[in-house]
Amino acid sequence: MTDLAMHMMDIAQNSLRADARNVGIDIEERSDDRTLTLRVTDDGKGMSRETVEKLVDPFFTTRDTRRVGLGIPFLKMTCEQAGGGLQIISTEGEGTTIEAIYRTDNIDCLPMGDVPGYLSLLLKANPEVAFRFTYRVDNTEFILDTEELREQGIDWADAGMLAAIKEYIGENMNAINSTVNR
Amino acid sequence: MAVIKTLDDLKKRQEEMKARVNLRDKAEDPESLVQVKVAMATCGIASGAKEVMEFFVTELNKRSIDAVVTQTGCMGYCFAEPTVEITLPGKEPIVFGYVDVKKADEIIERYIKEGELVDGIIPQNYNTI
Repeated sequence: MTDLAMHMMDIAQNSLRADARNVGIDIEERSDDRTLTLRVTDDGKGMSRETVEKLVDPFFTTRDTRRVGLGIPFLKMTCEQAGGGLQIISTEGEGTTIEAIYRTDNIDCLPMGDVPGYLSLLLKANPEVAFRFTYRVDNTEFILDTEELREQGIDWADAGMLAAIKEYIGENMNAINSTVNR
Repeated sequence: MAVIKTLDDLKKRQEEMKARVNLRDKAEDPESLVQVKVAMATCGIASGAKEVMEFFVTELNKRSIDAVVTQTGCMGYCFAEPTVEITLPGKEPIVFGYVDVKKADEIIERYIKEGELVDGIIPQNYNTI
């Protein structure tokens, strides 16, 4: 995983496998404490305490197609390398929140990557799941809520709309980045 | 074309697009569609599955092929990522390995359009990791 967008896609897949109907994805940059946070919140089936403890073990997986599970271990590795940390809160039957914090003043802080590209594909491939994406830099934020798209009659699952959705996300993220003083 | 930045821009783009593709009959029965599943687990993502999926979504649409492109988990062929499972109507699914944009183009032109088998198929009884 060489950027944050890849982790975002990867961790969101876990939520989908946990049968989540609502998935929140937050990417938050704060200049006061110099952190970059990736947070994925879902209302999937959640995990027991024992399972959460085993998550960071690369040889733990619930799959039967292979014997390793590297998504969470990689995420833990990249944020700890960047002087941050990983937090997992999960309740069985209620859902899971995963938060990876990176220090932006650390040379190993991950670059953002193609967030609009991954996000537009994630939305397209899972039209039955409600996504709420927030990109926040200090006090400025951009929110994309699939419920809002639905109200507006925008069909984000249509192949012809993929490029437009990607551009919409990209333009709004760029707009925030260009107005914020760094 | 104008930049898309607001929900209204998105709506406008959708209307323009609908007007253009209106002539194409959308078959709703998934059995009659080409199904493309791009493996999008940790291994797939790290190997570039995003570019491949983006390519399938846009190109199949552009080339007027009725298809559903979606994502799936890891099928155990991590060494051969990005992997793509293609199901032509009425046929058994076939998994292709080491798919990049060039390979994806070949798969569309030769397998999806012509039904011709191309290199890179992972046999069903092949070892998973």
